[in-house]
Amino acid sequence: MRTIRRRWAIPALGVLLVGAVLAGVAFGTIGIAPATSVRLMLWKLHLAHRPAGVAESTAVILFQLRLPRVLLAALVGAALAAAGTVFQALFRNPMADPAIIGVSSGAALGAIVVILLGAGEALDAMGVSAAAFVGALLTAFVVYRLARLGPSVQVATLLLSGIAVAAIVSAVISLVMTFSGQNIRSIYFWLLGGLGARGWQSVIAALPFVAVGMALAAASAPDLNLIALGDERAAQLGLPVDRFKVVTLATGSLLTAAAVSVSGLIGFVGLMTPHILRLVVGADHRRLLPASILGGASFMILADLVARTAVRPEEIPVGAVTAVLGGPFFLYLLRRERRAAGARA
Amino acid sequence: MREPEPRGLELHVVHAGYGLRPVLAGVSMRAEPGRVTGLIGPNGSGKTTLVRVASRGLRPSAGSVTVAGVDPYAVSARLSARIVGVVPQELAPAFEYTVLELVLMGRAPHRSRWGAGTEDWAHARRAMGAANVLHLADRPIGELSGGERQRAVLAQALAQDTPILLLDEPTTHLDIRHLVEILGLVRGLARDEGRTVLVIFHDLNLASAYCDEIVALSEGRVVAAGSPEHVITRGLVRDVFGLEADVAPAGVTGRPSVVLSPPVAAASPNPLGAPRAHVVGGAGRGASVMRALAERGFAVSTGVLHVGDTDAAVAERLNLLRISVPPFSIIDAASARDVRSMMAEASLVVVCDAPFGPGNVENLRAALHVARSGGAVALLQQVPIEERDFTGGEATALWRELASCATTYGSVDAVLGAVGPRD
Repeated sequence: MRTIRRRWAIPALGVLLVGAVLAGVAFGTIGIAPATSVRLMLWKLHLAHRPAGVAESTAVILFQLRLPRVLLAALVGAALAAAGTVFQALFRNPMADPAIIGVSSGAALGAIVVILLGAGEALDAMGVSAAAFVGALLTAFVVYRLARLGPSVQVATLLLSGIAVAAIVSAVISLVMTFSGQNIRSIYFWLLGGLGARGWQSVIAALPFVAVGMALAAASAPDLNLIALGDERAAQLGLPVDRFKVVTLATGSLLTAAAVSVSGLIGFVGLMTPHILRLVVGADHRRLLPASILGGASFMILADLVARTAVRPEEIPVGAVTAVLGGPFFLYLLRRERRAAGARA
Repeated sequence: MREPEPRGLELHVVHAGYGLRPVLAGVSMRAEPGRVTGLIGPNGSGKTTLVRVASRGLRPSAGSVTVAGVDPYAVSARLSARIVGVVPQELAPAFEYTVLELVLMGRAPHRSRWGAGTEDWAHARRAMGAANVLHLADRPIGELSGGERQRAVLAQALAQDTPILLLDEPTTHLDIRHLVEILGLVRGLARDEGRTVLVIFHDLNLASAYCDEIVALSEGRVVAAGSPEHVITRGLVRDVFGLEADVAPAGVTGRPSVVLSPPVAAASPNPLGAPRAHVVGGAGRGASVMRALAERGFAVSTGVLHVGDTDAAVAERLNLLRISVPPFSIIDAASARDVRSMMAEASLVVVCDAPFGPGNVENLRAALHVARSGGAVALLQQVPIEERDFTGGEATALWRELASCATTYGSVDAVLGAVGPRD
């Protein structure tokens, strides 16, 4: 039973992602039937003739509005879930998540500072992403240093360090906002988190960062298994621990920054996705990482679908949707974790 | 001087510690291929630190480490992990890996970046078979018992397939069947496959029975090294562990065996004013009676015993007043006379159900003599006299005669119940 579930989980998640994309582009002010979407996409890819009887406006809505947004959601979800998977192994703690440990805030601060310095225009979206990466990386190192007291990171220390660092970062953001003036709206965007109409520009800005981050994460997947055994055991099994940790912190930060710089602060995706999928595919990161990437992408597309269709014509920030789902889940995990810790003590 | 064995493990005047706290203070030792080397010593003596130093986990502040002819600190972690494998005391993965996943991680220093090759699977399967966890392959380790977990960790280290294997107390959580199985396996790794095996033991008897060489550490120094007979002695147990224990060759292995027992308070040979009980024992049948009487505050005497007899060793250990004769000899006239007077002056004579032969039947004659002259004599009979009479009937006749003028008890407790507490 367990082996069957594990063998089919990743293909099934692939199918789920395709379904999520089709559902994501289907709903909105006008409906687009999945069959129509598929035919239009095949046409765009030069694999089929232009489908007859499809209005020009449908094609425009699909390619200029819906598809970039859905793909952006997929990239952001995949990046956050991959970052969560990497951080959980590195911190040896299933409660780690880019938002909870403050790395997302660090990325947002980096992005905001660049925008307010007025460099945003000159440096374009890539520059914002790079600044977000620097912010994320610095926060990740600080939190890791603070949270680590023994062979692994305790939940309480991790959460407290994350909260403390996030609070400091927020204070800096507020301070920066005080001096910002006209740019307050774009800052507001980062604090709420959303995949609002940014089109292909954002997809293209995020894609290289996400791709590099995922390649690095994939390369480290077998060794994430070793680091989850603890530093000493990982070294006994041949892992150059110090170098690996630096590279892995950087990988998680890169993935987080890629997501945050185009979507702002969206929490809980990196926490929930690996956690749930670990129950399905097991703890081996060679399966868990691809599963989390596929699962995170699907989850984010569906969460964004809810965000933009639930109270039409208004749009809920997608970060609010993930928080409504993720908050209770997080509390449940925390409670279970504390109980297990109590039973061990 | 002998050339250092290239496949073994050698530490040369190693100093190591954590921060400012030194743990190893000039340790030189060697573990040879094809042999099981045991590492013993009290808590905090540096055993685990030594394993760490040898497995590239703690760089010595001075001195040198050589594994299979290589300085592990001069090569990569990966290369070192192909030479030295470690079985840690505990392993606490952050996530619920299955046993198979855990064992395959042992292949990490050999495998290419992704996926496990056929060779890796073969090694993992063999390691799981050897550690007897093949049937648990798909079980998450959180579901396993302590012993099963420990065997899974052993399988991980076996899958690593290293010429040197360091085991940090691999037997803590094992039941006795798995303990014997695993130690047998570990010995096979050395003897049949020629690996260098170093094992930390807390149990001195296991160390004695399974090791070819033993190194004893105390306060970060090697205090003894060599064969079990050479290392495990009463003196070592006293000096290193601060314990008085009996060390004697074990019946089956002939290796030193350490017997620990609660210390006896009243162990002076003849406390003034204490009533004295004389115990007739032999072949270990008197040991528990002597000990129980001594614990109750009796001055205890015993004899005649043969030197080398278990009861003689116990009497020596309890520091009892005793009469003994050379092994297998017949009790001579002087000893016979002495034991009669010793019995006559005792307030109680306890005759235990020892085997009686020509060498010690004189003890029964002496007891009968005392009983006839009105002395208190207690007979302890759990085994019928016929089954332990090796005199051709004389001992049986004497015992029956004794039984007519003494009280017979069926157990040590019954004897003690009749004696009552001294105070």
